[in-house]
Amino acid sequence: MAKKKPSKRSKPVRTKPCPMCQQGIEYIDYKDLALLKSFVTDRGRIKARRQTGACAQHQSKLAEAIKNAREMALIPYLGG
Amino acid sequence: MRHYEMMVILSDLLEEEDATALFDRIKSILADQGGELVDESFWGKRKLTHEIHKRDHAWYGVLDFRATSEGVAELERQLKINDDVWRMKTVRPELRVHTA
Repeated sequence: MAKKKPSKRSKPVRTKPCPMCQQGIEYIDYKDLALLKSFVTDRGRIKARRQTGACAQHQSKLAEAIKNAREMALIPYLGG
Repeated sequence: MRHYEMMVILSDLLEEEDATALFDRIKSILADQGGELVDESFWGKRKLTHEIHKRDHAWYGVLDFRATSEGVAELERQLKINDDVWRMKTVRPELRVHTA
Protein backbone atom coordinates (compact mmCIF):
# COMPACT_ATOMS: atom_id res chain seq x y z
CA MET A 1 0.00 0.00 0.00
CA ALA A 2 1.35 3.38 -1.03
CA LYS A 3 2.30 5.78 1.69
CA LYS A 4 0.23 8.88 1.98
CA LYS A 5 2.13 11.87 0.67
CA PRO A 6 2.72 14.60 3.25
CA SER A 7 0.66 17.65 2.52
CA LYS A 8 2.57 20.39 0.70
CA ARG A 9 1.19 22.99 3.01
CA SER A 10 2.17 21.58 6.34
CA LYS A 11 2.46 24.92 8.12
CA PRO A 12 -0.42 27.31 8.28
CA VAL A 13 0.11 30.42 6.16
CA ARG A 14 0.86 33.40 8.33
CA THR A 15 -0.05 36.69 6.73
CA LYS A 16 2.26 39.62 7.32
CA PRO A 17 0.68 42.55 9.06
CA CYS A 18 0.14 45.69 6.99
CA PRO A 19 3.26 47.90 7.25
CA MET A 20 1.17 51.07 7.40
CA CYS A 21 -1.13 49.75 10.10
CA GLN A 22 1.97 48.81 12.09
CA GLN A 23 3.47 52.29 11.74
CA GLY A 24 0.13 53.85 12.55
CA ILE A 25 -0.07 55.83 9.30
CA GLU A 26 -3.61 57.14 9.03
CA TYR A 27 -3.41 59.39 6.00
CA ILE A 28 -1.15 58.67 3.03
CA ASP A 29 -0.01 62.00 1.67
CA TYR A 30 0.72 62.09 -2.06
CA LYS A 31 3.59 64.50 -1.33
CA ASP A 32 5.36 61.99 0.92
CA LEU A 33 7.63 60.70 -1.83
CA ALA A 34 9.90 58.66 0.45
CA LEU A 35 6.90 56.57 1.54
CA LEU A 36 5.42 56.25 -1.95
CA LYS A 37 8.71 55.27 -3.56
CA SER A 38 8.98 52.25 -1.28
CA PHE A 39 5.70 50.99 -2.76
CA VAL A 40 6.56 51.29 -6.46
CA THR A 41 8.92 49.10 -8.47
CA ASP A 42 12.11 50.34 -10.19
CA ARG A 43 10.00 50.69 -13.33
CA GLY A 44 7.54 52.91 -11.51
CA ARG A 45 4.69 50.41 -11.27
CA ILE A 46 2.61 50.10 -8.12
CA LYS A 47 3.65 46.98 -6.21
CA ALA A 48 0.98 44.34 -5.73
CA ARG A 49 -0.55 43.67 -2.34
CA ARG A 50 1.16 40.30 -2.18
CA GLN A 51 4.49 42.17 -2.33
CA THR A 52 3.67 45.12 -0.09
CA GLY A 53 1.65 43.16 2.46
CA ALA A 54 -0.66 46.15 2.83
CA CYS A 55 -4.25 45.74 3.96
CA ALA A 56 -6.98 46.44 1.40
CA GLN A 57 -7.79 49.85 2.85
CA HIS A 58 -4.19 51.04 2.89
CA GLN A 59 -3.37 49.57 -0.53
CA SER A 60 -6.32 51.44 -2.00
CA LYS A 61 -5.28 54.74 -0.37
CA LEU A 62 -1.71 54.10 -1.44
CA ALA A 63 -2.70 53.54 -5.08
CA GLU A 64 -4.72 56.75 -5.00
CA ALA A 65 -1.80 58.71 -3.52
CA ILE A 66 0.64 57.30 -6.10
CA LYS A 67 -1.72 58.25 -8.94
CA ASN A 68 -2.10 61.77 -7.52
CA ALA A 69 1.68 62.11 -7.25
CA ARG A 70 2.05 60.92 -10.87
CA GLU A 71 -0.42 63.51 -12.09
CA MET A 72 1.57 66.23 -10.34
CA ALA A 73 4.82 64.92 -11.93
CA LEU A 74 6.30 64.02 -8.53
CA ILE A 75 6.89 60.37 -9.41
CA PRO A 76 7.17 58.87 -12.90
CA TYR A 77 4.42 56.95 -14.66
CA LEU A 78 6.86 54.40 -16.07
CA GLY A 79 10.56 53.91 -16.47
CA GLY A 80 13.31 55.04 -14.20
CA MET B 1 -16.13 75.55 5.51
CA ARG B 2 -13.88 72.61 4.94
CA HIS B 3 -10.19 72.00 5.01
CA TYR B 4 -8.54 71.69 1.60
CA GLU B 5 -5.05 71.43 0.30
CA MET B 6 -4.18 72.61 -3.19
CA MET B 7 -1.00 72.08 -5.14
CA VAL B 8 -0.36 74.19 -8.22
CA ILE B 9 2.23 73.78 -10.95
CA LEU B 10 3.12 77.06 -12.63
CA SER B 11 4.89 77.62 -15.93
CA ASP B 12 8.68 77.70 -15.70
CA LEU B 13 8.69 80.30 -18.49
CA LEU B 14 7.87 82.79 -15.70
CA GLU B 15 10.70 84.48 -13.82
CA GLU B 16 10.82 83.80 -10.09
CA GLU B 17 9.20 87.12 -9.14
CA ASP B 18 6.41 86.56 -11.70
CA ALA B 19 5.82 83.06 -10.37
CA THR B 20 5.63 84.29 -6.75
CA ALA B 21 3.36 87.14 -7.91
CA LEU B 22 1.04 84.60 -9.56
CA PHE B 23 1.11 82.50 -6.39
CA ASP B 24 0.16 85.63 -4.43
CA ARG B 25 -2.66 86.26 -6.90
CA ILE B 26 -3.98 82.76 -6.31
CA LYS B 27 -4.00 83.55 -2.58
CA SER B 28 -5.87 86.81 -3.20
CA ILE B 29 -8.49 84.96 -5.31
CA LEU B 30 -8.86 82.54 -2.41
CA ALA B 31 -9.29 85.45 0.03
CA ASP B 32 -11.91 86.99 -2.30
CA GLN B 33 -13.84 83.72 -2.14
CA GLY B 34 -13.87 83.91 1.64
CA GLY B 35 -11.18 81.28 2.18
CA GLU B 36 -8.91 81.27 5.21
CA LEU B 37 -5.30 80.45 4.46
CA VAL B 38 -3.93 78.05 7.07
CA ASP B 39 -0.52 77.32 5.64
CA GLU B 40 1.38 77.87 2.42
CA SER B 41 4.65 76.79 0.95
CA PHE B 42 6.30 77.78 -2.29
CA TRP B 43 8.57 74.92 -3.25
CA GLY B 44 10.40 76.80 -5.97
CA LYS B 45 11.50 75.36 -9.29
CA ARG B 46 11.50 71.56 -9.44
CA LYS B 47 12.39 69.07 -12.10
CA LEU B 48 9.33 67.25 -13.42
CA THR B 49 9.44 63.47 -13.65
CA HIS B 50 7.75 63.73 -17.02
CA GLU B 51 7.23 66.61 -19.39
CA ILE B 52 4.28 68.96 -19.00
CA HIS B 53 3.65 71.30 -21.94
CA LYS B 54 6.98 70.07 -23.38
CA ARG B 55 8.93 71.53 -20.44
CA ASP B 56 10.87 69.59 -17.84
CA HIS B 57 10.90 72.09 -14.97
CA ALA B 58 8.12 74.04 -13.24
CA TRP B 59 7.30 76.15 -10.19
CA TYR B 60 5.49 74.34 -7.40
CA GLY B 61 3.34 75.81 -4.66
CA VAL B 62 1.09 74.31 -2.00
CA LEU B 63 -1.78 76.03 -0.18
CA ASP B 64 -3.50 74.73 2.92
CA PHE B 65 -6.79 76.48 3.53
CA ARG B 66 -10.34 76.42 4.76
CA ALA B 67 -13.02 77.36 2.26
CA THR B 68 -16.50 76.54 1.04
CA SER B 69 -17.00 74.14 -1.85
CA GLU B 70 -18.30 77.02 -4.00
CA GLY B 71 -15.15 79.02 -3.18
CA VAL B 72 -12.93 76.15 -4.27
CA ALA B 73 -14.92 75.64 -7.46
CA GLU B 74 -14.57 79.34 -8.33
CA LEU B 75 -10.85 79.32 -7.51
CA GLU B 76 -10.34 76.28 -9.77
CA ARG B 77 -12.39 77.88 -12.53
CA GLN B 78 -10.24 81.01 -12.45
CA LEU B 79 -7.01 79.00 -12.39
CA LYS B 80 -8.12 76.92 -15.38
CA ILE B 81 -8.44 80.12 -17.41
CA ASN B 82 -4.86 81.12 -16.63
CA ASP B 83 -2.43 79.59 -19.12
CA ASP B 84 0.49 79.92 -16.70
CA VAL B 85 -1.17 77.48 -14.29
CA TRP B 86 -0.31 74.11 -15.78
CA ARG B 87 -1.74 71.78 -13.18
CA MET B 88 -3.63 71.98 -9.93
CA LYS B 89 -4.84 69.41 -7.50
CA THR B 90 -7.19 69.94 -4.60
CA VAL B 91 -7.51 67.27 -1.94
CA ARG B 92 -9.31 67.11 1.38
CA PRO B 93 -6.76 65.59 3.72
CA GLU B 94 -9.09 65.18 6.69
CA LEU B 95 -11.52 63.15 4.60
CA ARG B 96 -9.01 60.38 4.22
CA VAL B 97 -8.05 60.18 7.86
CA HIS B 98 -9.43 57.05 9.40
CA THR B 99 -8.66 55.35 12.65
CA ALA B 100 -6.44 52.31 12.32
